[in-house]
Amino acid sequence: MSASLLVCLLLQQTPVTPPADTMRSRSLDAVVVTATRTERQVGSLPMPVTVVGKNQIQQSGSLRLNDILREQTGLTIVSDHGQGLQIQGFSPDYTLILVDGEPLIGRTAGTLDLNRLTVGNIKQIEIVKGPSSSLYGSEALAGVVNIITESPTRTQGSLSARYGANRTSDLTGDVSLRAGKTNLYLFGNRYASAGYDLTPETFGNTVSPFTNYTGSGRLTSQLANRLKLTLTGRYFTENQNTDAQLTDQQIVLGAGKVNEYTINPVVTHQVSDVWKLMYRYYRSGYNTATDLRYQTTGAEYDASYFRQTFNRPELVVERTIRNRHFLTVGVGYIGESVEATRYPGRQVFSTRYGFAQFEWVPTRRLTVIAGGRYDDHSQYASQVSPKLSARYELSPTLALRGSGGVGFKAPDFRQLYLNFDNGVVGYSVFGTQEVAAGIARLQQRGQIAEVLIDPARFGAIRAESSVAFNLGLSANFQQTYDLPLQLSVNLFRNDVRDLIETQVVAQKTNGQNVFSYTNLNRVFTQGAEVDASYRLTLGAGRLTVSAGYQYLDARDKSVVDAIRAGQVFRRNPETLVTEQVKLADYGGLLNRSRHMANLKFFYELPKQGLSASLRGIYRSRYGFADRNGNLILDTDSEYVPGYITWHVAAAKTIRQLTVQAGIDNLTGYTDPQYIPTLAGRLWYVSLRWNWQQRASI
Amino acid sequence: MNVLPNLLLLTISVATLTACSKDDNAVTTQPVQSLTVKNLSADPISTTAGSGTAVQPVAATGKFTLYSLRENKIIANTDSATNKWDIGFRSTAIIINGGAIRSGQGGANVYTGTFDALTAIPTSTTFAQDQTATQLAVPGGSGNGWYNYSSTTNVVSAIPGRVLLIRTGDGTKYAKLEILSYYLDAPASPTGTTPSRYYTFRYTYQPSGSTTLN
Repeated sequence: MSASLLVCLLLQQTPVTPPADTMRSRSLDAVVVTATRTERQVGSLPMPVTVVGKNQIQQSGSLRLNDILREQTGLTIVSDHGQGLQIQGFSPDYTLILVDGEPLIGRTAGTLDLNRLTVGNIKQIEIVKGPSSSLYGSEALAGVVNIITESPTRTQGSLSARYGANRTSDLTGDVSLRAGKTNLYLFGNRYASAGYDLTPETFGNTVSPFTNYTGSGRLTSQLANRLKLTLTGRYFTENQNTDAQLTDQQIVLGAGKVNEYTINPVVTHQVSDVWKLMYRYYRSGYNTATDLRYQTTGAEYDASYFRQTFNRPELVVERTIRNRHFLTVGVGYIGESVEATRYPGRQVFSTRYGFAQFEWVPTRRLTVIAGGRYDDHSQYASQVSPKLSARYELSPTLALRGSGGVGFKAPDFRQLYLNFDNGVVGYSVFGTQEVAAGIARLQQRGQIAEVLIDPARFGAIRAESSVAFNLGLSANFQQTYDLPLQLSVNLFRNDVRDLIETQVVAQKTNGQNVFSYTNLNRVFTQGAEVDASYRLTLGAGRLTVSAGYQYLDARDKSVVDAIRAGQVFRRNPETLVTEQVKLADYGGLLNRSRHMANLKFFYELPKQGLSASLRGIYRSRYGFADRNGNLILDTDSEYVPGYITWHVAAAKTIRQLTVQAGIDNLTGYTDPQYIPTLAGRLWYVSLRWNWQQRASI
Repeated sequence: MNVLPNLLLLTISVATLTACSKDDNAVTTQPVQSLTVKNLSADPISTTAGSGTAVQPVAATGKFTLYSLRENKIIANTDSATNKWDIGFRSTAIIINGGAIRSGQGGANVYTGTFDALTAIPTSTTFAQDQTATQLAVPGGSGNGWYNYSSTTNVVSAIPGRVLLIRTGDGTKYAKLEILSYYLDAPASPTGTTPSRYYTFRYTYQPSGSTTLN
């Protein structure tokens, strides 16, 4: 009897994906840790937060982090030394990427390549927009993306295999074992692709073939009643074969390797009902090595390496006051080292920091969060980052939220340590820590004609900083009107100053310049973002429609001033006639689209185990480079045309097996000249097998 | 009857007077010379290198190409110590025939504005001269003088809105000069490998010696 009951239950077993109801209520009830470093419901937060759950990641057929992030409102993936994330018009250098609250390292030129993160072990992605340096320090200027990985509490496992266009294959397996109070989670992933070539008439691939492996594990143990230990580790390795043709027709080939590891023990000590302590230690290492050789002779063409290590112990104390207000205080130390081909020697530097945050909840309707952080770095001026945010519930439907804060970004390795002489043209570039020694060396060789800035100011550099305001409204019509509609509007303005740019510091006797970096520029980004989702019942299933739009205006303040003063001109490249540039002609910063929109349909038939999705992403035209000699974006020929990409996927679950098929970039749109990362039509098929230890009835 | 000789005298004197004044008004008697010079070679090298490899320049002479604006022709280097030339080009460097290291009395000023809108040299203009090999009338280095060099595209582009106001080598005449391109045949979109050191520029020369330039 019990056996047949068991069989019946198995046969009627709904797909292992979470029940469809979580899709509807997820945005309201999802618990988020990134915004306040404490667990809060996302609907109660005073800053704009987007949550992407595992269900949506799987139904979208995403493989790597950039796949799922580019479909979110207000985010776009840009290619600059890797595929990075642009939020509110900021370059990828200005967004902090965290994995389980710990920063990802390896910004060789400022950008973190998001293609290196697999989505196979992600439970949810939390995206907080607006400056968050008051909690997270450097690089959290545009926002923070925190990837929360799986930490299942049952014994279960899964295996999945996927194959698709460009001989792209993805193999993922994970297992979670529970024994008493200890839980072990292990994850492995292999991702390989043959790359693709958008310009078959020229030598070399647009994207070269590569293979990468990710392995991660998490051990969670309840050591005592109030003591919990979590130990997380991750290892990533990638191998990519490159071949290129030089201007003199010679061919160079070689391999590029990337290795990364992280280790992160966390001890959580609930000292009493009101006091909680967290001790965290994080160590990460990132190495890349490239070795390119001439095909004919085997002689070396370019061998370069980059090695970075990062150590961070941190202590966070949380105090709950009268069960309503929360005080969080933290201190920490960061020790970093970097070594690379173009930097002299191994550079070591450190930061000491402390932060505090008070969440004041005087009434059920009002939440005020005030916080600040102090960072003391060994190589540049120290930084204070305060933030104030508030949320007021106007009614059960409508809530108003606003936040204002300071964000900062530390000078990156190039800006501090670069030591580069261009042998052909004859100019030199020195990072701020190298400029005094570099100029002294050139002066000894008699190559300096004139030093243009006061030598006492050599090496003085500040972090780039911004002041930002976000104001928004969120509406949920479920409670009062019983309408499954959610709407969110956000206005933002970021004023960035002390942007680090290159500057001429001396003139050489060969007529060329010596450049260094200095805090020079001021830019602003401002705009509005709208996000809506509506769920309706269609037959036996549910259809969720979501749409989003962002308007962005990002401009350089000094260029605006120069245009107003009549000092900017442009030359028509065909007729070579010069004319004055008007303010309306100025297109703003490069690589930013004025309009971005997305439209997504997710359809589910839970009883039949079917799901399908259709997503469209639109990006309006954006500036590529200056073509008429005035160094600013001002004519139509300097833009990349806007485009829409459509993605479709469908999945069917039968008991423990899920089959999924999909096509990314349905129309096959490509732009080989300007967008090498857009691969054309990509089809894929995948098979996933889930198993769970059956819970006792 | 007597009116006719008087009238003739009047006409002759008026004609003489107006003829004299016409000599002063250079616009009508000696028009300005406006022309475009294409592909003036300025010590070109045979190959340009991309990043990562250093290529030895071939057949670069290291000599400036000297030019006379009045005669619209290249002046031989043997005449470099005379007043015959006004402006010289070598790679991105521009020299003027005036200053401590030169024999002429010329000068230059880097003016910001449109070439066509500049009808006369402003009275407040100070003409700089070549005082030393590194202190030139037209400053060197990207962004300082007439060009911008982009390390990302390896392209030298003439800054739009920069006009060189020139005083000629003999110190008496004025001209405005605008550099249009640094590349052979002035392509609309040069790249790092387009043959360079071939100047295309246009200038307006005032043969009368006044500062009016239209």
